[in-house]
Amino acid sequence: MVAPIYNEMCDASGQPRSHYQAFDAWLKACPEEMVHLKQTEADLISRRTGITFSLNGDEDGTERLIPSDLIPRIIDAHEWADLEKGLVQRVKALNMFLHDVYHQQNILRAGLIPSEQVLANAQYMPMMLSLDLPHQTYAHIAGVDIVRHSDGGFYVLEDNLRVPSGVSYMLSNRILMMRLFPDLFRSYAVRPVEHYPALLLQTLRSACWVEQPTVVLHTPGRFNSAYFEHAFLAKQMGIELVEGSDLFVRDGYVCMQTTEGRQQVDVIYRRVDDIYIDPLSFLPDSFIGVPGLASVYRQGHVVIANAMGTGVADDKSIYPYVPEMIRFYLDEEPILKNVQTWQCRKPDELSYVLANLPDLVVKEVHGAGGYGMLVGPTASKAEISEFALRLKANPDNYIAQPTLSLSACPIFVDQGIAPRHIDLRPFVLMGKETRIVPGGLTRVALREGSLVVNSSQGGGTKDTWVLESTEVR
Amino acid sequence: MLSRVAAQLYWLSRYLERAENMARILEVGQSFALVSTSDITRADPETIKEPLVITDTLEAFKATGRPMRSDQVAQFLAWDPSHPSSIFNCIQSCRENARSVRGALTVEMWECINDTWLELLVKKKKAKGSNHPVDSSFFEWIKQRSHLFRGVTFATIQRDQPYNFIRLGTYLERADNTARILSVKTRVAQAEGKDMVDDYYRLGAVLRSVSALEAYRDTYRDAIDADRVSELLIFNARVPRSLLFCLEETSYILDHLPQQTGREARKRCANLLTHLRFGTLNEVYAQGLETYLEEFVNENIHLGDAVQGDYLEVLA
Repeated sequence: MVAPIYNEMCDASGQPRSHYQAFDAWLKACPEEMVHLKQTEADLISRRTGITFSLNGDEDGTERLIPSDLIPRIIDAHEWADLEKGLVQRVKALNMFLHDVYHQQNILRAGLIPSEQVLANAQYMPMMLSLDLPHQTYAHIAGVDIVRHSDGGFYVLEDNLRVPSGVSYMLSNRILMMRLFPDLFRSYAVRPVEHYPALLLQTLRSACWVEQPTVVLHTPGRFNSAYFEHAFLAKQMGIELVEGSDLFVRDGYVCMQTTEGRQQVDVIYRRVDDIYIDPLSFLPDSFIGVPGLASVYRQGHVVIANAMGTGVADDKSIYPYVPEMIRFYLDEEPILKNVQTWQCRKPDELSYVLANLPDLVVKEVHGAGGYGMLVGPTASKAEISEFALRLKANPDNYIAQPTLSLSACPIFVDQGIAPRHIDLRPFVLMGKETRIVPGGLTRVALREGSLVVNSSQGGGTKDTWVLESTEVR
Repeated sequence: MLSRVAAQLYWLSRYLERAENMARILEVGQSFALVSTSDITRADPETIKEPLVITDTLEAFKATGRPMRSDQVAQFLAWDPSHPSSIFNCIQSCRENARSVRGALTVEMWECINDTWLELLVKKKKAKGSNHPVDSSFFEWIKQRSHLFRGVTFATIQRDQPYNFIRLGTYLERADNTARILSVKTRVAQAEGKDMVDDYYRLGAVLRSVSALEAYRDTYRDAIDADRVSELLIFNARVPRSLLFCLEETSYILDHLPQQTGREARKRCANLLTHLRFGTLNEVYAQGLETYLEEFVNENIHLGDAVQGDYLEVLA
């Protein structure tokens, strides 16, 4: 029996929830053609702002717009307060875990996580061993994917600690909504997000011991799907957007070549995956990295954000242990829930998974972006039996989770408004202090019934409103 | 600013200027063929070859196996993908450079370049379908797009390093072009002796190709003669495509770029400028006009290399 989907706007009886009442009244008062007009205007503004998502093989220079839906996803103050506490707690523990597995490895000694799960993990980087990082920060920027289940509770789906993206859509959605519906912002006290680039810059600047550090954003280049986000953030922070070929190593430091001569670089906000960072250490035929960067990093002469080797903490095989980490490092009970996960490497859990494949989602432990996974309820019998063979051949490579019913929020469609599934990616900035701009990126599956919110697969976004606490006002 | 970004701005404007100059050379060549009074000149293989000689592409053209006809020359210089400086390739390179430094351009500048590219693709499709001759409306369009970009740049971008590198590319490319046109066109004029009517059209074509016909009339108020054309296009400080003007602008730009780098470029520029500011036509003739211009083109190339080495190269 499928549980009813949690609707963000309305309760079970179909009445708008208290924090959506004002919006509901406003919407009912809106003439229908106005909505249509505003949507057209929205597309125009998005193109102007230049926030687009370029798909691979884009030859004629047309970039696709990520559709922005104009119904905000509203989160009330209490709910956000809990979420925020949970996020800070979780990211803190994950950072401590990363420091630990590259130093004393206490959590392994305590036997809470099997050593081979960490040390033999493809994401574990021996070069990080006993390297001391400023403030012991590994994941300076974390994008934690959160969904709301039919029980109304928030669950963490994934901790993205490598190069999380999407924050530019969060910012552009807000710009858009404020321009289109200034009157709505008068009836709602929405907490601001526009200062994110300033906070990010502050986080990056304080991530190293140099007093006036030079910070750069390292992009793989304009063929990367998130290139416009890179260019956007660099411009907002007023830092150079560099490619691998702009940087080089001289006398133990990283420099960039400018028209004024060479300039030392102290912090690299990299949007490049670990293995592309340095062709001398990893992939010799890659052009997007900087030869010798890894050795400069080992000497502590440059800060890379996020640090190398963070992938070992957001790997799906490690995910089931995050609640344990929180208890171990912080001596606290986890505030945010994990989705129940079966580890196929354990024989009894594997047999449960094999017996229940049609109801489960099975994922590769190192996979990302929806590749190599099985969605039981929508898969054919042939697909399931074929997947079962792969699973049995290499059970260590898989985990399984129940099929979640993501909560839904209304969006504008041609025929009016209709509910679609959403998730939420708040961005946590970690350094001397931990900061989160209230909200994050709400992604929405535009097709009816679809659970896929990825922008590469036709997902859209919404502005996310966290309301000021009424007690404060 | 980053050397790579500066380099891409500099090259995007060089390529656009190169496309414009190519259009100017071809346009004048074609209109000259139409008005020419003597049949000998009209079919003169030397005249047909001229655009190739000016752009140093005679050998490349021969290698394609195309017959030496003016329409073939125009097709080659306008569209041929195998010729790196064809108008098509220049606009493509311009747009490619612009695309990777979009953040350093204003929205209007980017849209201007991108629109040009998209429209060029449409034109190319049409040209292929009907074996469309490359005519003056096409050259006029290229010139206008180049003018538009300069205007948009002037009107929208901050006066900062990006602006200076864009202008630097324009003037270095333009000086090269003026020197080449002058060298080839006056060589032919001199060889054929002093035929008033023929000179009028031939030298008039030179002036029109660099938009200097009005300037000539205003300056001399007299018949067009080869000496004055040379004087105007080398030494006149008020004609925007003269060598002196281009070098004065280059020098001004170099003075406003970072001074801790660029020593070699400023030195070479000052040298060239001294010869242009204080030189005379008699000195030029003593050396021989062709030799003089050839030397200028070489020195200008060295200046470009110095700009490249001082500001634009990574791992200098």
